[in-house]
Amino acid sequence: MTPFEIKDCALLVRMSGLPPTTNLRELRDRIASCTENALFHHFCETTLRPTFDNPDYRNDFAVWAKLYLEDRVLAERLGILDPYEFRSLSELRAVTLEILDERLGEVTMIPWVRPGDEFFFLEATTVVFATGERIAHPSALAGAIRRMTNGSVYFHFLEARRRPPLWKDDFTAWLLDGGEVNEPYVRALASIDFYFHGLAHLRDELVHVLGGLEGAV
Amino acid sequence: MSAPLSAYEEIVGSSVTRQIRQIGEKLRGIRIVHVNSTREGGGVAEILGWMIPLMLELGLDASWEVLRGTPRFFEITKSIHNALQGGIVAVNGKDWKIYHDVNAENLETLRGTLSDADIVVVHDPQPAYLLPLCEGRKGKWIWRAHIDVSRPFRPVWKVLRSIVGKYDASIFSMAEFAQPLPHPQFLVPPSIDPLSEKNRDIDATELEAVRGKFGLDPARPLLVQVSRFDRFKDPVGVIAAYKMVRKVAPVQLVLAGGGATDDPEGKAVFDDVTEAAEGDPDIHVLLLPPDAHTTINALQRLADIVLQKSTREGFGLTVTEGMWKGKPVIGGDVGGIRLQVVNHHTGFLVNTPEGAAHRIRYLLHHRERIRSIGETGREFVRENYLLTRHLRDYLTLILAVLQGDGERIIYM
Repeated sequence: MTPFEIKDCALLVRMSGLPPTTNLRELRDRIASCTENALFHHFCETTLRPTFDNPDYRNDFAVWAKLYLEDRVLAERLGILDPYEFRSLSELRAVTLEILDERLGEVTMIPWVRPGDEFFFLEATTVVFATGERIAHPSALAGAIRRMTNGSVYFHFLEARRRPPLWKDDFTAWLLDGGEVNEPYVRALASIDFYFHGLAHLRDELVHVLGGLEGAV
Repeated sequence: MSAPLSAYEEIVGSSVTRQIRQIGEKLRGIRIVHVNSTREGGGVAEILGWMIPLMLELGLDASWEVLRGTPRFFEITKSIHNALQGGIVAVNGKDWKIYHDVNAENLETLRGTLSDADIVVVHDPQPAYLLPLCEGRKGKWIWRAHIDVSRPFRPVWKVLRSIVGKYDASIFSMAEFAQPLPHPQFLVPPSIDPLSEKNRDIDATELEAVRGKFGLDPARPLLVQVSRFDRFKDPVGVIAAYKMVRKVAPVQLVLAGGGATDDPEGKAVFDDVTEAAEGDPDIHVLLLPPDAHTTINALQRLADIVLQKSTREGFGLTVTEGMWKGKPVIGGDVGGIRLQVVNHHTGFLVNTPEGAAHRIRYLLHHRERIRSIGETGREFVRENYLLTRHLRDYLTLILAVLQGDGERIIYM
């Protein structure tokens, strides 16, 4: 098996160019017209941003709906969306718009926010670094993940799912490359309900499920 | 003189310094010039004071130029600065002419340096006019706005926008501070230097000396707010919160700030604070000189709880400083405090003196939470708000601007 090369990453965040969002209807219109990178940023990259620290929901739209639009119904509906369940970002966008349209049909007044509480659409460039570290064998994977930075966990286990042609996390892709003997590791990784973990918890969970196989494979 | 990059490795870990060195390797030999309007004093000079040596250490050809101007020029740029932050300040055609002329005079001496540079970073409005004057420039120019321009006085912004809109990119501290501009707008939050006098570790002897100097009782909990005497920092609201807590718990309060007794507004706020304190011996109102970094550092470390009960705030670096010292922060629910204070994790966001009093009492009744929240806050700052992250962001965006192809991923 070719050794697994551990990488690390960081985000460089920029404004998307869309105007600030001040109410639910504008949120709907901006989500309809924003770039896929902006959509990805607010659903997926948010976990790497400094502001992320165990909020109730895992995407920025749900958090904003709860904290500033003060629409808990909408926050709950948006909060359960798992962006990695969708085959493409356009599917994710369509489902998100469906939720927003449904809510716009229910409310008697369009929820709005005070100045200073607007939603800003952002996007990011992911900068990827070589760490120089390698994993030689699947049995060493759990130990290596235990020492990984949040950036490494994000890049290999989450961001990789957006990379063609495999659209899979890097660990699984590497293990599959090693043949059927790695099947228990692949199944262990697939058992994680990963989207609802913060990165620190995700690292713990990865170590837990892979560490449980030690001696068994 | 700032410390070398290796000095930060023990604090942030080798993964972070390795990232910085990798980007530095890609940018080796790049000629980068920073331009601002003062060599000493103020946040921008402080940033450039550490950034230039670290860029040089990484192999970039970095330099720092300072715009020279007349007193009248700086009066005008102060007005522009205030107008960008929402003050209704008239800047007339004659003023704009002086602004133009001083930039043009400076360009005569800076032309060679600026036109040959690969990257020019122009800080704040004072030197912004250099770009339209510098014909034949070969590099990319970036405008760095250190201030909040989200609600500017429109007539002044209209003129400045026509100037800064010509840049290749701009940098703001937070999305909330930005204005739409026709180029990429990067977001780079500020940072603190963990090795500076204001943030370095302090030994017990120094701490006790400061405690003794101000007559603070080691046996009773201490609340500390560090900020200049400004209404937006709500020091009177902090005293109101203290009084609510004082009825049930034997706390002490320190309100420490720099400040400007020659500033009529600052003097009035200081007088209001003194009056609100009503001679209470457990309220210590300290007017400190601008270089009292060690004293500020010690007071933040002596605190059980750090307060920053602002009603309007920029990024709020005093919050960052308090968190770096392992303290829970009770902060106003505004500006950059929102980015740093997360309820129950790094502190509490509050909107009123009552809210602040409630959270102080909660923490005093759950002393173990003071420690655990403080630890979380320190790690949060270590990960996000130290100068190493700030430097990495600058290097990365320079790379992104030079490549200019808008790639979603850049591999080092």
